Amino acid sequence: MSVKVYLVDDHRLFLSGVKAELAEEFRIVGSAYDVDTAIAEIRGLNPDVVLVDVHMPDGGGVAVIEGVVATNPDVKFLALSVSDQAEDVIAMIRAGARGYVTKTIEPPELVKAVRRIDAGDAVFSPRLAGFVLDAFAGAIPSDDDPELDQLTPREKDVLRLIARGYAYKQVARKLSISIKTVETHVSNVLRKLQLSNRHELARWASKRRIV
Amino acid sequence: MSGLRSFEFKRRETDRIIAGVAGGLADSLRVGDAYVRAAFLTLLSIWGIGGLLYLAMWLIAFDKIEDEEVVPVSSSQALGLATAFAGVLFLLGAFGWWPNPILVVTAAALSFGTAALTDSSRPAPLAGLFDPNVEKPSRMRILIGVVLLIGGLSLLNIRVGGLFEFSTVFLAVGLTGLGVAVAFGPWVRRLVGDLATERNERIRQEERAEVAAHLHDSVLQTLALIQRSDDPSRMAMLARHQETELRDWLHGTAPLDGIDLVSTALKGAAARVEEDHQVPIDVVTVGDHAVDEHTKALVGAASEAMVNAAKHSGADRMSLFFETDEDEMTVFVTDQGIGFDPSAVDTDRRGIANSIRSRVEKAGGTVEIASEAGEGTEVVLRMPVVKS
Repeated sequence: MSVKVYLVDDHRLFLSGVKAELAEEFRIVGSAYDVDTAIAEIRGLNPDVVLVDVHMPDGGGVAVIEGVVATNPDVKFLALSVSDQAEDVIAMIRAGARGYVTKTIEPPELVKAVRRIDAGDAVFSPRLAGFVLDAFAGAIPSDDDPELDQLTPREKDVLRLIARGYAYKQVARKLSISIKTVETHVSNVLRKLQLSNRHELARWASKRRIV
Repeated sequence: MSGLRSFEFKRRETDRIIAGVAGGLADSLRVGDAYVRAAFLTLLSIWGIGGLLYLAMWLIAFDKIEDEEVVPVSSSQALGLATAFAGVLFLLGAFGWWPNPILVVTAAALSFGTAALTDSSRPAPLAGLFDPNVEKPSRMRILIGVVLLIGGLSLLNIRVGGLFEFSTVFLAVGLTGLGVAVAFGPWVRRLVGDLATERNERIRQEERAEVAAHLHDSVLQTLALIQRSDDPSRMAMLARHQETELRDWLHGTAPLDGIDLVSTALKGAAARVEEDHQVPIDVVTVGDHAVDEHTKALVGAASEAMVNAAKHSGADRMSLFFETDEDEMTVFVTDQGIGFDPSAVDTDRRGIANSIRSRVEKAGGTVEIASEAGEGTEVVLRMPVVKS
């Protein structure tokens, strides 16, 4: 059974391009140009993976994720965007997306990313890795759950290598660990990003808007 | 709809003053909220009944909050409600339950007077008088406002002055001010609103002109170039270059207050290498630092490393990663190309490696070059952060 993929993007040209790239590898069960259609169809079709654009009218990708997460908790989201604004990307991840890639990603890489998301792993593009390192940099705030508010040195090592453009496989070899371990580290970072109450995270995002 | 629809009381969510009780009640009764508030205020003067009633209704509708579209009742029905309220009021009076009749009458006059002047829920029949959007303050409105308020004020001053000796002056000024505000408020608000609208419109137009000028100089030019080009790689590069430039412009990553940042300088350097050598470069930066003598050397060396990789690695893209903490800045230039054996390189490559090295070391930093044949190359530049 091939992976059921659903696409949401208000740019029709881009959408048809991605559709063509993924059609050979996956079963594209549908696509939508707007948030409301997307929510209704995803609820009905229950796809495995949804590729969703960050910026769209009526709430964007965050609204799609929030509209589906309660009814179809098994649907996994991969954020796909031209935006490299940190706050947009972090908002998608915190809403529940399991990864973020930029739209300039090479087609084979996109295919790999979709497979990884389907397998329940997290997909960190170099840029997302950079955002996360930036967000978790500096002193630990006095929050109630320090474990969630801090990255371990190993997690930072993994993120740095991803930010330098290495694939998971290469990261594993560089750190002499297994790919499975790399995936575990990345999933843990994703969890921290989603659950951390670190007020730094909000402050950091608003600071990024200015600089 | 008949006047017999089921009576369901909810608190209001928006357009409320305390907890939306009076507003919600007004919506349920389908009358102007100003009058309901006036009724609460009047009842407040009778042993504080208004306050207790308000609290009770707040508790009843504690978790029922909703805004409703309201069709106002007809004038006669409103009149009926008003008469009923007046009846209850006077019944209380007849039983001798008014603590201070003058206070009650004054409170009623003041609150209902103000309500009549501020109510904007009913377009008819007094729209010309009480709608805040009328062309100018009507004479009638001023008259009613001033008469009612001065009347209430004099009453207070004469009959219960003893109760309020300290605050008489304050009260007089306050009430007169309120009267004037009620009479002229809508007109002043409209005037101020017009000025603000005009200014916003002007700012919007200036912004639009600036955006148009910028798009014309950049995006449209690039699109024209792309249409005239038949080399796919050049087209891609033009598009990518334009993308970077547009992004910087949109997100204002241009230097702030004349301070150049290392991240901006590195992105600029990467964009130039991309353009000259047609190799896409993924730039990721973590943290930032102002450009000074040390960081200039770092940026220059990174630029050379990128050129080097673009020329010799054969990779179809590369990565630039910059990170800084309090002590040290690090730059990684990474490609997944053919790599080389650092001990056996041709003189050209060694020359570049040496020039990178001498540049960085002169500024107090270090350079590591890691490469293996077939494994790509990574140039690591480190520079201590100089505390200023």
